[in-house]
Amino acid sequence: MSTVLIVTEIQNGSLREACYEVASLAQQIAAATGGSVKSLVMGQGVAALADEFSKKGGGDVFLAEGDALANHNAEAESKAIVAAVEASGADLVLIPSTPSGWDTAPRAAAALDAGFVSECFDITAEGGSITYKRRVFNGKLEATISASCDKVVASVQTGATTPFEGSSEGSVRKLDVSIGDLGTKFVEVKQAESKGVDLSKADVIVSGGRGVGTPEKFLEVIQPLADALGGAMGASRPVVDAGWLPHEYQVGSSGQVVQPKLYIACGISGAIQHLVGMKTSNYIIAINKDPDAPIFEVANLGVVADLLEIVPALTEALTAAKG
Amino acid sequence: MKIMVCLKQVPHQDARLDINADGTWIQEDNIKFEINSYDTYALEEALRTKDAGEADVFVVSIGPDRVGQALRTALGMGADRAIHVNDDEANGSDSLGLAKILAAVAKQENPDLIFMGLMSDDDNSAAVAPMLAQLLDIPHTTAAVKVERSNGTVTCDREIEGGAHEVVELTAPCLIAVQTGLNQVRYASLKGIMAAKKKPFDVKSVADLGLSGQVGTGAAKVKIDRIAPPLKGDTAEILSGSTAEVVAGLVSKIKELGLL
Ligand SMILES: Cc1cc2nc3c(=O)[nH]c(=O)nc-3n(C[C@H](O)[C@H](O)[C@H](O)COP(=O)(O)OP(=O)(O)OC[C@H]3O[C@@H](n4cnc5c(N)ncnc54)[C@H](O)[C@@H]3O)c2cc1C
Ligand SMILES: Nc1ncnc2c1ncn2[C@@H]1O[C@H](COP(=O)(O)O)[C@@H](O)[C@H]1O
Repeated sequence: MSTVLIVTEIQNGSLREACYEVASLAQQIAAATGGSVKSLVMGQGVAALADEFSKKGGGDVFLAEGDALANHNAEAESKAIVAAVEASGADLVLIPSTPSGWDTAPRAAAALDAGFVSECFDITAEGGSITYKRRVFNGKLEATISASCDKVVASVQTGATTPFEGSSEGSVRKLDVSIGDLGTKFVEVKQAESKGVDLSKADVIVSGGRGVGTPEKFLEVIQPLADALGGAMGASRPVVDAGWLPHEYQVGSSGQVVQPKLYIACGISGAIQHLVGMKTSNYIIAINKDPDAPIFEVANLGVVADLLEIVPALTEALTAAKG
Repeated sequence: MKIMVCLKQVPHQDARLDINADGTWIQEDNIKFEINSYDTYALEEALRTKDAGEADVFVVSIGPDRVGQALRTALGMGADRAIHVNDDEANGSDSLGLAKILAAVAKQENPDLIFMGLMSDDDNSAAVAPMLAQLLDIPHTTAAVKVERSNGTVTCDREIEGGAHEVVELTAPCLIAVQTGLNQVRYASLKGIMAAKKKPFDVKSVADLGLSGQVGTGAAKVKIDRIAPPLKGDTAEILSGSTAEVVAGLVSKIKELGLL
């Protein structure tokens, strides 16, 4: 029997979609183990959201309110989670793996002296034991994990499960949390600066990754292919981190999310943070010398070869075909 | 001021990943290792404070003999001293076990600031840093892309989604787990590598840290049962043949998409 506690997150005045995704897993685990689902809603002036969630998969909701919880604060949230675990008797805590979640969840796990499993894409309960699945080595391998302890905190990858659409019957109960002095102070959120290069308008994007090798090769190899297709150039994060291209070229969770008619990924392995930025493109071509690169899982068409050979030849052939 | 930098040695990003005999991790023999990419940025950030004449920097790593190389590289880049927790008893530690070891080191050293990476390139847990902060009861932030100090407080921009930043203020002592790209990382110079040979290098055991029986496989709360390549779902249709054949295939697809 598992008591699963969902730790929710509020963004711009509503519960994030990810909370409902976590609710799907929580409801499945509770059903498989004959347990129950409970939730924690924290913030300031969020009672209505607690009420809403109790009916939409959250079950019995603990509502923690206070100034310290009005904005993301890992220290304060961690204290609220500990209080909610004590009040609910939860043995499994599930939390969305968002920027707030990844800041708070491990801290809460340590405070609970609990096992921690990060960014699971699946959690299943079978025969009384719970199995966690997560990606390691930037998506190149998958690990199956088990716990041998009485409490586990697991964070759940966003978008990995479909949101819960059923209903639940639950109460809302106020949770007193003594937050005390905090060494962390939220100051503000600064929105992304407007982009010089708006990749969202391009029909074709040719992106290069670390596999392109040098900044010169971006100019000599990647840009000409983009030009030949009348498209734009994009990049993966390491290219931007190394200073080869400015941030506005970055595609992915911390860059731009794009959906062109054609996305050509050259020398990009296909880490999840890159994939979320481009996987809904209409058609994807991947060129990578590693046949096992995860990028081939989302691509429609793949070439396993050295991009420095294929891309210039392709540019030449396209230029010739246009006449 | 005293800064602690925690670094992990991980398989080189271009290393072949073969699975080991019992299927629980990769084969580590005969592959190259390097300092975790995130941690090189953490070290660079600390070294900039040192260059400004404001800090001593020591580096800590947990792992087998090979990890000595990573620590020597860090000394070559400019760190003042290294602590290597090298003990079979630490093997198989989960994130919490690693955090307990680092917490014991921090309690012996009392650093004003701790710099770490957001996550390790092999395990991808992004767990050890917030855990360590909790065990030390100090504030922390993760995914820092900008760090500014002014007497007793550290103001960080942490990266959130879509290029937005969250600004947080931490009271020192505090812990900062950095995101890649927040600075340009230096290389170890030849002079630095020579100088590194004379720098203090301590090796510690789990017992030295008072943690016998509390870390390692036996104490791990979670463990990897199995590791495997992802199940192949709908993978891409692969074009094979000579470069000319492959290119012809690509061109005809691009035509078919109406993009030529
Ligand atoms: C919070 C967070 C946010 C992130 N945000 C983003 C983001 O917005 N965007 C992003 O891209 N990443 C992001 N990342 C980083 C992400 O995890 C990966 O590290 C990154 O996407 C890897 O980039 P890559 O594929 O270029 O490099 P690698 O993973 O190193 O892959 C390089 C690839 O090139 C191939 N290759 C090498 N040489 C050749 C050649 N000559 N020909 C053909 N193929 C070759 C290799 O086989 C390999 O597959 C983020 C990470 C975190 C933790
Ligand atoms: N074995 C280790 N030795 C020293 N530091 C480590 C070790 N493992 C993890 N770390 C630190 O913790 C960070 C996050 O790692 P992880 O939680 O494994 O993703 C790394 O970037 C390092 O700074």
